[in-house]
Amino acid sequence: MGSYLRLELARGFRNPVGLIMTTFFPLGLYLLFTLVLDVAPKGIGDVGAYTMVSMATYGAMGSALFIGGAIALERSKGWLAQLAVTPLPAHGYVTAKLVSGAVTVLPSIVVVLAGGALLTGVRLPLGTWPLLVVLIWAGALPFAALGTAFGYSIKGQVASLAMMIVYFVLTVLGGLWLPVESMPEGMRVVAEYSPAYAAGSLGWRALDGLAPSGSSLAVLAAWTVLFAALALWRYRRAV
Amino acid sequence: MTKSVWEMRAVTKTYGPVTALADVDLDVGEGETVAVLGPNGAGKSTLLSIALGLRTPGSGTARVLGRPPLEALRAGRVGVLLQESGLLEDVRVGELVAAVAGMYPRPLPPERAMRAAGVEDLARRRVGALSGGQRQRVRFALCVVGDPDVLVLDEPTVGLDVEGRRALWQEVRARTAQGRTAVFATHYLAEADDYADRVVLLAGGRVVADGSVSTVKSLVGGSEVRCTLYDADLDDLEILPGVLQVSVEGRSVTLRTKDSDATLRGLFAMFDDVRDVRVESTDLESAFVSLTGEGRG
Repeated sequence: MGSYLRLELARGFRNPVGLIMTTFFPLGLYLLFTLVLDVAPKGIGDVGAYTMVSMATYGAMGSALFIGGAIALERSKGWLAQLAVTPLPAHGYVTAKLVSGAVTVLPSIVVVLAGGALLTGVRLPLGTWPLLVVLIWAGALPFAALGTAFGYSIKGQVASLAMMIVYFVLTVLGGLWLPVESMPEGMRVVAEYSPAYAAGSLGWRALDGLAPSGSSLAVLAAWTVLFAALALWRYRRAV
Repeated sequence: MTKSVWEMRAVTKTYGPVTALADVDLDVGEGETVAVLGPNGAGKSTLLSIALGLRTPGSGTARVLGRPPLEALRAGRVGVLLQESGLLEDVRVGELVAAVAGMYPRPLPPERAMRAAGVEDLARRRVGALSGGQRQRVRFALCVVGDPDVLVLDEPTVGLDVEGRRALWQEVRARTAQGRTAVFATHYLAEADDYADRVVLLAGGRVVADGSVSTVKSLVGGSEVRCTLYDADLDDLEILPGVLQVSVEGRSVTLRTKDSDATLRGLFAMFDDVRDVRVESTDLESAFVSLTGEGRG
């Protein structure tokens, strides 16, 4: 499996469209929100830091979801039929995909955080930076599972389109573009149980020096289990 | 008897009302090169996928190298070239071959496999930029890079040019000469004739003939007289001495006969304008047509 994992990693870091979509686009949005537009809602302390976490989470989510886009494309091109006749077992393929996906999530996080520190002057205690990387990275987990489920449900380019829509809805609902504080009450209740909000709240609380809340961890774990079960079910149907 | 590599016992497989394989028994020994032939829908692909463990037989048993087929595959003992399989598009040929090599316990050096498949010059090219024939060569490199004991090839030379075919069969021969085994399905009867030492003929999911190329040919027997004839009358041709079967395509006439000398004498006596007369021993194609009941149009 090691040799296949290496190949997957090389592919992940050589994909210019993917890197732009999930790394430089969130960075651009971050700079737009903090330097150009004035959309700061009431009740948020350091808007720059808050938006930085939101956009890093947004980028990480995208990277994780797009694991599924690659799987869908490989399925439609018949690559999985080829892998089926090699010694690589199916779980080896899925593991390689998830590990390489998890690694390719990191640039999205690191680039936006670096933008925050270097371009907009966000200042945080030194220990908070690596903590943010780890928390945002962990928050991307349910989306990796969801992306995998998509990859095994829909073939080819259609999967990417469907995923863009889901990505957009979850981002907005999770308050990553505009904070949940600016939502009407009813929407806000729904939003706080959504996976993207739970993922974002890990980082937002860390900015205030708070540990992740039990409820956001529970929400995140529940979504992860649900999406992983969905992925496993779709995978068994597809193979 | 050499060591058994492939063993199928009473294998039956049905898809709904369609019987893909009916009660197939098949043993392939170490070092054999076996061609599986048959018209479309005869069950070739089903036979291969059961032997690879990709499908399970409806009833009966299949074993490869003495173990369940999928185990033999996962242990890296079997190299496979499938028709419908795809490749990763966004990697270099050399990277792909090396990654697949790493999945096997005792692989060949990737360069060695690429040379055997004639793609060593393409090692730095992106797979997405390759032509169909080049891709087929890359698939063949993936098939041999694990240095497997058994090669299973489904229509291996489709899309290959003359040079590619020659290289592929040369490598297959080199491997079987070392006591390894190759089983291939093909539409090109000439390839079975040239490269297989045994032919398994499938029709309607059953094995209708199984033996050496010459054995299968002799099942049909006789020889063929071919000629060019204007306004040939089928009835006249059929009463020529020795003739067993007549087929006419435009002006070209093929007479299958049990006594070519007698047929020729009659032919020249009856038709003044007969031309391009030649006598051929029954070829594999005739055997194929007559044993599988495939019409010749």
